[in-house]
Amino acid sequence: MDALRVWRASSHFIGFASRAACAAATSRASVSVRIRCCSSSSAASAAAAAELPSTTVAPANPGRRGRNSSSTSDRESIRAIRLKKANSFPSQNSSFFSYEESLLPLEIDDELVIGSSGCARQVAFLSLLFFARVEELRSKGHEPYAYKWTRSHTACQLQDIYSHLANGEECKEDLVSIAGRIIARRAFGKLAFLTLRDDSGTIQLYCEKEILEDQFEQLKTFVDIGDIVGARGSMKKMEKGELSVCVKNFEILTKSLLPLPDKYHGLTDVDKRYRQRYVDMIANHEVADVFRIRAKIVSEIRKTMESLGFIEVETPVLQGAAGGAEARPFVTYHNSLGRNLYLRIATELHLKRMLVGGLEKVFEIGRIFRNEGISTRHNPEFTTIEMYEAYSDYQSMMNMAEEIVTQCALVVHGNLDIDYQGVQISLQRPWRRETMHNLVKEATGIDFDKFKNNLEAAKGVARGILESRSENNDSHLVETCPSVGHVLNEIFETIVEPTLVQPTFVLDYPIEISPLAKPHRRQKGLTERFELYICGREIANAFSELTDPVDQRSRFEEQIKQHNDKRATLVSNSKYVEGENTFDDYSYEVSLDEDFLTSLEYGMPPASGMGLGIDRLVMLLTNSASIRDVIAFPVLKIQH
Amino acid sequence: MADGIEEAANSVSNLSVTNPPAEEAPSKNALKKELKKKKKEEENRLKDEEKKKKAAAMPQSQKPSSADDEDMDPTQYYENRLKVLASVKAAGGNPYPHKFQASMTITEYIEKYRVLNEGDHLKDVEVNIAGRIMNKRTSSSKLFFYDLYGGGLKVQVMADARESDMDEVEFAKYHSGVKRGDIVGICGYPGKSKRGELSIFPKRFTVLSPCLHMMPRQKAGPGIENASVKKNEGKMASDVWVPGMTRNPETYILKDQETRYRQRYLDLMLNHEVRQIFKTRAKIINYIRDFLNKLDFLEVETPMMNMIAGGAAAKPFVTHHNELNMKLFMRIAPELYLKELVVGGLDRVYEIGKQFRNEGIDLTHNPEFTTCEFYMAFADYNDLMALTEEMLSGMVRSLTGGYKIKYHANGVDKDPIEIDFTPPFRRIDMIEGLETMANLSIPKDLSSEAANKYLLDACVKFDVKCPPPQTTTRLLDKLVGHFLEETCVNPTFIINHPEIMSPLAKWHRSKPGLTERFELFVNKHEVCNAYTELNDPVVQRQRFAEQLKDRQSGDDEAMALDETFCTALEYGLPPTGGWGLGVDRLAMLFTDSQNIKEVLLFPAMKPQDEPLTKAESMENKKIMSGIILVSLLKDCLYIHFREASKDRENTLLICTIVEIWILEKTRLASAQIFWPRLISY
Repeated sequence: MDALRVWRASSHFIGFASRAACAAATSRASVSVRIRCCSSSSAASAAAAAELPSTTVAPANPGRRGRNSSSTSDRESIRAIRLKKANSFPSQNSSFFSYEESLLPLEIDDELVIGSSGCARQVAFLSLLFFARVEELRSKGHEPYAYKWTRSHTACQLQDIYSHLANGEECKEDLVSIAGRIIARRAFGKLAFLTLRDDSGTIQLYCEKEILEDQFEQLKTFVDIGDIVGARGSMKKMEKGELSVCVKNFEILTKSLLPLPDKYHGLTDVDKRYRQRYVDMIANHEVADVFRIRAKIVSEIRKTMESLGFIEVETPVLQGAAGGAEARPFVTYHNSLGRNLYLRIATELHLKRMLVGGLEKVFEIGRIFRNEGISTRHNPEFTTIEMYEAYSDYQSMMNMAEEIVTQCALVVHGNLDIDYQGVQISLQRPWRRETMHNLVKEATGIDFDKFKNNLEAAKGVARGILESRSENNDSHLVETCPSVGHVLNEIFETIVEPTLVQPTFVLDYPIEISPLAKPHRRQKGLTERFELYICGREIANAFSELTDPVDQRSRFEEQIKQHNDKRATLVSNSKYVEGENTFDDYSYEVSLDEDFLTSLEYGMPPASGMGLGIDRLVMLLTNSASIRDVIAFPVLKIQH
Repeated sequence: MADGIEEAANSVSNLSVTNPPAEEAPSKNALKKELKKKKKEEENRLKDEEKKKKAAAMPQSQKPSSADDEDMDPTQYYENRLKVLASVKAAGGNPYPHKFQASMTITEYIEKYRVLNEGDHLKDVEVNIAGRIMNKRTSSSKLFFYDLYGGGLKVQVMADARESDMDEVEFAKYHSGVKRGDIVGICGYPGKSKRGELSIFPKRFTVLSPCLHMMPRQKAGPGIENASVKKNEGKMASDVWVPGMTRNPETYILKDQETRYRQRYLDLMLNHEVRQIFKTRAKIINYIRDFLNKLDFLEVETPMMNMIAGGAAAKPFVTHHNELNMKLFMRIAPELYLKELVVGGLDRVYEIGKQFRNEGIDLTHNPEFTTCEFYMAFADYNDLMALTEEMLSGMVRSLTGGYKIKYHANGVDKDPIEIDFTPPFRRIDMIEGLETMANLSIPKDLSSEAANKYLLDACVKFDVKCPPPQTTTRLLDKLVGHFLEETCVNPTFIINHPEIMSPLAKWHRSKPGLTERFELFVNKHEVCNAYTELNDPVVQRQRFAEQLKDRQSGDDEAMALDETFCTALEYGLPPTGGWGLGVDRLAMLFTDSQNIKEVLLFPAMKPQDEPLTKAESMENKKIMSGIILVSLLKDCLYIHFREASKDRENTLLICTIVEIWILEKTRLASAQIFWPRLISY
């Protein structure tokens, strides 16, 4: 394979030029330089040895081709070529262009971040080249950046409407107009085939010299893969059955200055896919489908909620105190108010105020921010829907969760049996409903009920379980647990959670870890709360809302006390142990939301509420392994 | 005032007259004679009582009979309620039941039973409804009247001991504990009084959530309250506020702005129009979403936290990601990301979402606000103007039924103006318009010193204030504000802005120096901003460089360069029209709100004076005086260095370094309140 690549590389017009060479090239307008860049080292050496077709090119100095310095100059070279191309004469060797398809896959360099000084130089360099080119193009009457194109159809519409044409049949009377990006081209002496892609799909453009006349040379000269083109013509099905637009005239709408990555080999670099999402989307059309499905899911949820009489509201992102969940918030500073503000970590407390105000069914689809690490399941900002309904309880919320998830699955897949990363998931209702205690008992054989409030006994047993069950020693996790409920939760999360693959409602969480849930109407020490798990991931969290302001206040106080205790122990430990990071996790302040408590004192109707993670739902329904696949621009580490 | 009292008196006497017939109704259903007798007696007694009360009430201000403990000091009231709560809990009761299964909402109840004839009682129907009690009238220990509210509408509750499954003593005791503001669930049967008031007659009556605070009352006395309550009585939508109508918060039961905005739930409970504002807001957003979805636009979500705050010119919020140890800015516009998606092949995208700007709070500005931005490939600003006209006029039509809305542009005490959304909207060419209106002839090359001088002189001539930095952009902006925007009451497009004002807009295809851009003004405020997008990467870089120049000359609202975005443009952005709309401003127009806080559920408010502990306030004082000292010092340094070196950028840098050094020395930097300030330099 490598040999093949080298052969291909050397047999084509591959050259390599430093920035200086390129600048020199501009002064010699007749010089035509073809450059491809490739970050694989074998190709690099091939490139250095490459022959040059027509005239000359400044020979590249392989020794100067350090990884970092090369990337910038490579890119500039390509830009330069693209810019030059518009200037080159139509009389050029026509076979020149037919290689475009078979050229080596382009792997664009990894180092995209260019230092500010480099950037300034780049601007200067580019403008130098560009002014000359723009002058020439415009003197010929071509505007490389058009203003507008009126299209009559999308590619997909054309494919539908003219699917009836027989092979070789042409529909001369209809004049259609279409626009999109050129993703493939084959040019022969008097013929050229271009593949154009727009939002909806692809269609072939059939260009004949006899029809296009002067424009044909222009097409062969100026149009590159990656350019955005508008075309008008009639519809014809080729002899081989490919539906095409017989182009009568066309216009370059936007000239692309950078080469597109190869569809099959390009953009395997995961990091780059997220950093330059648009390149990813151009190269892999399926990527955009995820976002189309995402929009569909959100819109379906909205439709479901509105049909049930819920009203959508917007609550603030910037808050004086971040409450409603246990997470480290982002802090910012408002200049004119002269105070710190926190980005919301949940919409809960404000939506509940709406219930107090008499809006009986409310929801908000919105962004939540948590100042925590990033992973395949976590992004610092993510989207949730939270909904609250007066006069209902967590039982009705379970039905709601089933309703929403199955509706979305039906809209996306058309059925309720879906595949997620090779695992078959059945979303057929009803879903399993089981209490947390029973699930833990089932998995470990231990009934946590028997511990009552005997924390030490619970810890001892838990330590035993964790030591025997988990590969990496997690038994330290239980050490800091302040209550039996916390110990139970620890066991649940490490042992049971990963096993909950099929949709399961985990019911009745201990009161110690559910500060906003109403006490269970029958079981002391538990709350009316459930979490929905699918594929070992928490999708939704819901409870019968705590409406008693006195109880709520003491729960908040307990929560703050726990937080401060944890922080205090970590501070004292960190003096001896190198636990900087864990200490950091709890170094933020938790404060009491007095306003919220006051609103509860005005009386909140009995209600239930649910939060559902939209990103995770989209992951599930689009079979995406990472949250970064369903967020258009995920947060990434700073590049070095 | 006298009228008010008389009206109140009438309404009270009405009650006493109409209620007895309502009581009579069951007798038609052939109840026991004895009962009937009893009732007659009671009716008479009732009548007498009411009459007496009426007589007694006339001279003084009236109080509903339940008001006995409402004279109490609010704190004491609250403590009493807490005590009651504790005693219920001690006795093993649960004052907060888990669930009440309402069989219908109050809105549905009214919808279903409003057709009842006066005097009808559907004894064999059983319904469950729940809501909040906003008024209580005690007739006797066996008969209580309540106003039950839900969904902004009211149903009368007539709790009669004989209908209840409690015995009389229990009944009296239970109902005396029910307070105004409590949330209750009622199981009973529907009926209508002779006077036509739709009521429910409870068999079971449960408090679901007690209200521990005294409900605010309208200070003017119950007369007006009754009048306003009457407005919402059992009728659907007849005189209910709808978008496009005027509103007057001065007539609200709860008037105090601070309380209304800080405790929005009280506002919603007491002022029923407020709920309509937020419903209107939701409708506006839904309309936009439907409109765009029908045109095949795709709704997307782009990050709210960025490494660079681009896409607009404004001061961003700064925050910090701990684990990645990364400085992040809250977005000021989603523009650049959305355009990247268009590059990626999503030809029509939009986002409705929050933007954040670290600016002062006033009548039209909140630090976070909602916008809609859409990008449409292969369209230009002419297409977008047509779309804007279609969208806005269609929206007004669907909300109000016509094209005209009423708006108190000059305050609620003046007559409202009428704003006409009939398309097409007026169009003014910015520079031409300014030249005609102000009789100017502005130099063609706006980036020249001469143009700057000319505009500066014009500002002086017309007494248009422009605080420094007096860049050409800002001067023009002020002049346009003074001469053009003032004339834009009905929706008007101001079009073709100069390049220097629009770093992201494409140059005009036929008018050099200008761009293909428009702003839509309604009632002198900008509502939309749109342009043919600049998609030439080289020109884009130049424009960013020019912005950088403005930034260096002190205009910290100029835009920053976003390298990723420029690279995206190099991959080719199709010709695209981009459009942004301020949702809050639009909501203000349609709800006759002069203050942006009216249309935000929880507007940003200045912190209330929270009692600080002594240590805290000492610490704060230290920090504050530190800040003042340091910034003074820095300013001195800055002036000094600038004189000496003329190099602004470096001077600023040196001063900032000095500042940081001082802060570190004084250990003030450790105070958390400090670091974002530093970053803002």
